[in-house]
Amino acid sequence: MSTAATTTAAPRSPQRSRISGIIDLLRGVPILGPVAALLLACVFFATQTDRFLSGSNFSLILQQVMVVGTLAIGQTLVILTGGIDLSNGMIMALSSVLMTGLAANSGMNPFLAILVGLAVCVAFGVLNGWLTTAIGLPSFIVTLGTFNIAYALVRIYTTATITSVPDPMLFFGETFGIGSTQISYGSILMLALFVVAGFVLSSTRAGRAVYAVGDNPEAARLAGIRTNRVLLGVYAVAALSYGIAGLLLVARTGVGDPQAGQTGNLDSITAVVLGGTSLLGGRGQIVGTLVGALIVGVFRNGLQLMGVGSIYQVLITGILVILAVSVDYLSHRGGK
Amino acid sequence: MGSTLPASPAPSSTASSRPRGKVLLEMKGIGKSFPGVKALQGVSLAVREGEVLALLGENGAGKSTLIKILSGAYTRDEGEILFDGKPVAIRSPEDAQALGISTIYQEFNLAKDLTVAENIFLGHLPVKGLRVDWETVRKRSREILDSLGALFSVDAVVSRLSVAEQQLVEISKSLNRKTRILVMDEPSAVLGEGDLERLFQVVRSLKDQGIGVIYISHRMREIFALADEVTVLKDGRYVGTRLVSEVTMDELVRLMIGRDLKDVYPRREPKLGEVLLEVKGLRRAKLVHDVSFQVRAGEIVGFAGITGSGRTEVVRAIFGADAHGGEMRVAGRPYRPRSPTEAVRRGIALVNEDRKAHGLFLKLNVTTNTTISALKWLCKAGIIQRAKEKSLVQRMIKDLRIKTPNADFLVVNMSGGNQQKVILGRWLAIDTKILIMDEPTRGIDVGAKSEIYQLMNELTKRGVGIIMISSELPEVQGMSDRVLVMREGTIVGELARAEASEEAIMKYAVGGELAQA
Repeated sequence: MSTAATTTAAPRSPQRSRISGIIDLLRGVPILGPVAALLLACVFFATQTDRFLSGSNFSLILQQVMVVGTLAIGQTLVILTGGIDLSNGMIMALSSVLMTGLAANSGMNPFLAILVGLAVCVAFGVLNGWLTTAIGLPSFIVTLGTFNIAYALVRIYTTATITSVPDPMLFFGETFGIGSTQISYGSILMLALFVVAGFVLSSTRAGRAVYAVGDNPEAARLAGIRTNRVLLGVYAVAALSYGIAGLLLVARTGVGDPQAGQTGNLDSITAVVLGGTSLLGGRGQIVGTLVGALIVGVFRNGLQLMGVGSIYQVLITGILVILAVSVDYLSHRGGK
Repeated sequence: MGSTLPASPAPSSTASSRPRGKVLLEMKGIGKSFPGVKALQGVSLAVREGEVLALLGENGAGKSTLIKILSGAYTRDEGEILFDGKPVAIRSPEDAQALGISTIYQEFNLAKDLTVAENIFLGHLPVKGLRVDWETVRKRSREILDSLGALFSVDAVVSRLSVAEQQLVEISKSLNRKTRILVMDEPSAVLGEGDLERLFQVVRSLKDQGIGVIYISHRMREIFALADEVTVLKDGRYVGTRLVSEVTMDELVRLMIGRDLKDVYPRREPKLGEVLLEVKGLRRAKLVHDVSFQVRAGEIVGFAGITGSGRTEVVRAIFGADAHGGEMRVAGRPYRPRSPTEAVRRGIALVNEDRKAHGLFLKLNVTTNTTISALKWLCKAGIIQRAKEKSLVQRMIKDLRIKTPNADFLVVNMSGGNQQKVILGRWLAIDTKILIMDEPTRGIDVGAKSEIYQLMNELTKRGVGIIMISSELPEVQGMSDRVLVMREGTIVGELARAEASEEAIMKYAVGGELAQA
């Protein structure tokens, strides 16, 4: 009788232990998953279309992801604290129409106009942070509200696309050459911002505080961290990244578009999640977000080169998100 | 029979006043391995009808693994399980339930937004035609609650109940199924002192209903109050089984940790220094009134009292975690903390009662958990100096004997004792002068407890003043130089170490005739 029970607990088959070995590895170095997915996607598209594997195509992908990537930097910070920011795309849109409008229509010095745009973003971030900390509202609600407020402000300010944008605002859309490949300054700016954010998160007191608050806010407070100040700072810095994303958007499109940014929140959350950051806060890395943004970019670009319609690109992005989160979830479930 | 009770002399079983029940369940020679670890080896136990078997052992002794095998969460590699004398296979939780084996874990399995009755019948609501037969549900639930002496309504929403009441709902749930063996995993760990007696009554009424109870606890007092027999495990192996009526606490501790109890509370000669903390007229709305006391360098001040007497509220106020009134001085200088940040800056640290909720960053690693409050001193221009941080963490791991594969290990995977050491390390990493410990050894096994006590003594030698809240009287007596007893939000008595007998403390705590000092 008991032999029946014993056979059910037979030693693990080698295949099973190989799978669990991979799971252990993923748990230890979580960034491997997204990186592997990105490489696999690149290999796949390289075999499907010979236009994929070229310097200029990669440079194009970088340009295509630079706006969402920069938005996603702020989103990552907010999500690491256990929050979520639905307002980021609209804050970006507000900054881009303000910058271009003030410079093109009101004749303001373009550099001053950029500063005004960034300052308005930071003000929105402070508002988000203040409402979440002082009143204690869930970030989802707060940023849903400020999403609508920012959207309304954009449309009140202008319903027409702002053209004749002065040159200094288009600088980040310009390119420089390495060999035959043209790389935009905006892509470089985005990568630089990722490096800075990565350094701050991993190697500074402020970065540790972000993780601590995200993992357990009450424990963080009782460890002597000024949690409200950390959250306020995170929302403000995040909003600054939305403002910079606005500047990159202007540089890329050449106009101030009041229709822009409406899917920025979901697109940036997609990048964060694909990069392995937990929506529960406290776990994740900024480099994952870059990889996540690149995964989306590579898929869109590759599918486009293969002649797949844009609506199918969206379809595949949806499947990707569910797959990525499933893998992440399964690899952590056993670890209790 | 002789094989299950190898160490107990058979004739003296008359010590219990009634005839012993028949053996319901036997586990024999149980073994279980995980990759790289032999978790259990040759473990046996026997549970009798209407009796309580206490399962005793330090963290990591294999209690949980054994219980999980019994409840079908794990399958065994070796050994056999006999139920009513017949071998059975338990391959899943459903198998265990079909046999009538129910388990109550420390984390309850309740739908908090549903009512008591709905929870008791969760998953098998009786129906009449297409409609739920609510009348039966409520009537039967009432009967079960009454049998346990529970007074709350069957229509109460579970989230509104106290933890002790929720526990009763959990027990009722298993009674509503056919339950012959009830496994209770540290049921007292979540309860306050006042609810303990109630739990004891419930367990006794379960016995009267002929249910065999397996009761897991670290607390000796409960074992002597409740259990008929006790089985001791150590390092995954069976140590022995004793009748409770024939065993002493010292012997049990020796079986469990392999050394004597008197080593658990190490002796020390306190050398008191200057007054570190002075509290005058501390108050918090409704919770704390007019609390005044002092703590000297090198002193351990014990706070006794029942749960809800205001002890935790006092120390949280001192730590700046909650708003409060009154006057405080630290090392002679005025101290008015509005946040824990200020407390930490002045050298005051708080080890919380609930380390998982209020102390640890469970999903972060040992390094982050240890240095989070010390970063100010580890940083240059806000940038963490890795080498400095690393050597600090290594020193804490070594000094506190924290068991961890490396400094990047996630705290969630550590045992309670090691988690507590990590939190202690956090406060030792900075220059802590006043260490407040709220239930410092709750849920920690005896071995780790003793290490924490030694550490406390070590700290007092270095001139640290310690405030210790504890609901375990032996701990208060064994560790404190002075005992302050609280009741209803204020200090009602002060006892020197020599006067702090259990009776004296309890008299003040519950308000005996001597109370109004």
